[in-house]
Amino acid sequence: MGVDVGGRQIAALRSEGDSFERLFKAQYARVAGIANRVLVDPQEAEDVAQEVFMDFHRLHSANSAYAAPWLYRAAAHTALNRVRGRKRRERRELAQAMDEGARTLDPQSQAELNEDRRRVREALGKLPAKPATVLVLRASGLSYSEIAESIGVGTGQIGTLLRRAEAALRKEVNRGTP
Amino acid sequence: MAHLNDGTLRRMVDDPDAIAAPDRDHFAGCADCKARFDTMSADAKSAEALLVAPAASFDAGSAYRRFSARPARPRFGFHLPILRPASRGMVAALALVVLVAVGVTAAVNVSNIFQPQTVQPVPISVADLESLPDLATYGDFKWSQQPSPQIGITKDEAEKIAGFSAPTVKSLPQGVNDSNVTYAASTQVVGTFTFSAAKAQAAAAAKGKTLPAMPAGMDGSTLTLSIGPGIIVIYGDLTVPSGSTATPQQIKLPKLIVAESKAPSVTSTGVSAKQLEDYLLAQPGISPALAADIRAIGDPTTTLPIPVPVEYATSSKVTVQNVQGVALGDNTGIGSAVVWIKGGHVYFVGGTLKQDEALSAANHLG
Repeated sequence: MGVDVGGRQIAALRSEGDSFERLFKAQYARVAGIANRVLVDPQEAEDVAQEVFMDFHRLHSANSAYAAPWLYRAAAHTALNRVRGRKRRERRELAQAMDEGARTLDPQSQAELNEDRRRVREALGKLPAKPATVLVLRASGLSYSEIAESIGVGTGQIGTLLRRAEAALRKEVNRGTP
Repeated sequence: MAHLNDGTLRRMVDDPDAIAAPDRDHFAGCADCKARFDTMSADAKSAEALLVAPAASFDAGSAYRRFSARPARPRFGFHLPILRPASRGMVAALALVVLVAVGVTAAVNVSNIFQPQTVQPVPISVADLESLPDLATYGDFKWSQQPSPQIGITKDEAEKIAGFSAPTVKSLPQGVNDSNVTYAASTQVVGTFTFSAAKAQAAAAAKGKTLPAMPAGMDGSTLTLSIGPGIIVIYGDLTVPSGSTATPQQIKLPKLIVAESKAPSVTSTGVSAKQLEDYLLAQPGISPALAADIRAIGDPTTTLPIPVPVEYATSSKVTVQNVQGVALGDNTGIGSAVVWIKGGHVYFVGGTLKQDEALSAANHLG
């Protein structure tokens, strides 16, 4: 009697597909939220989340134990990379946002808020990847152990990494302050 | 008692109870630790305020529908510029050179396994590459363990896949830092090539060529090549512009690449190393110079030949980690690399570095 290899493969593919859908739906909001923490742009954050899930789907099994930490780290990295590459575009968009914001907030307050956000994201983009990722993941509400899993270090190291990252961010923001 | 370290103090900012009793007692009476805690607490609050983002809600259901509607891309596959259609001929030719070179060093029979312990350069010209015959026409290749590279994983994941510790450069070259490191790993890959005299002759006849007859016992015999498991560590930003397929010009060359893999092994059935060498090197397209260089690589059972494209790279023998290795440096100044075998593993250290930097990094590998 022959072995139904094709049938088994189809069943395995279906099972992987189901697992991926579950993973996607369980983690999407958190992944997009991490990206939004960096980008302060929900639409672009959703683009990043789609890209991150696409990359994960191409290379990994949804049943991998490291699925969630991988997605969190990839969301932070991808969003930080976009911040690093978007300075010119952001200045243009910022000017547009300021025009729109002027309709809801007083122009002075909106301009200051936008300028602060731009300066902070620029400073974040200048930090090395690891401290920037630690900051973003912590600000997105991940626990010390979740951050540790995501960046591949021991939980005991997170306090030190966070401390250094916060000091580096303060220094970078102050450097950019006129 | 020593002062509390930064990590402990920072953790206390988020979780005041996460502190051991002796540390708590010290903290209660230490003005220095309290002052540091206050600074950290202020920095933490400042960072939290700076990183505030306006609340946004994300609908996973509609996002999944959008995701499912996107054009499918191959799973467990990745595209490198070298694998673009225009480059496939050259890659196939390179694969042939490596397989010829490794193949001729294969053991006399299946009970003897080729296990290289050292490396040796084999110069290859572009003309050699272009005129090489297509290995696929000499038989059939089949994966018995498919390559399944995992890219962009953590160090721990890479080590779990490979089964050994990731190579670490203890003293990084100037301009290289470990803030942006990408890990990739693969389990062992095993492929079997079965020689077919009829297929080889038919392919040659279609091109108007005649092949030398396969030696007795070669038709139907197999070479089994095992590679890996291995880990690749890439230092540098590999970011490509988003939203488009990267072209070779858009790929940023990594500053430093470190790789470690279990040394490849080859088993052979039905054909001796000498027969294999004589047959493969007599094929049309293998230049006498290349054949001579391959024959001269030394002890065939313990040497891994490293093909060196002579128009683009120079090679020299170097001592690395107290064994003999091959240093490759290209003439354009784009980069250099060092390859060696030690303890049954093949190591590669290379990148956009000067040759002495690559050698120094190789000697600081732990």
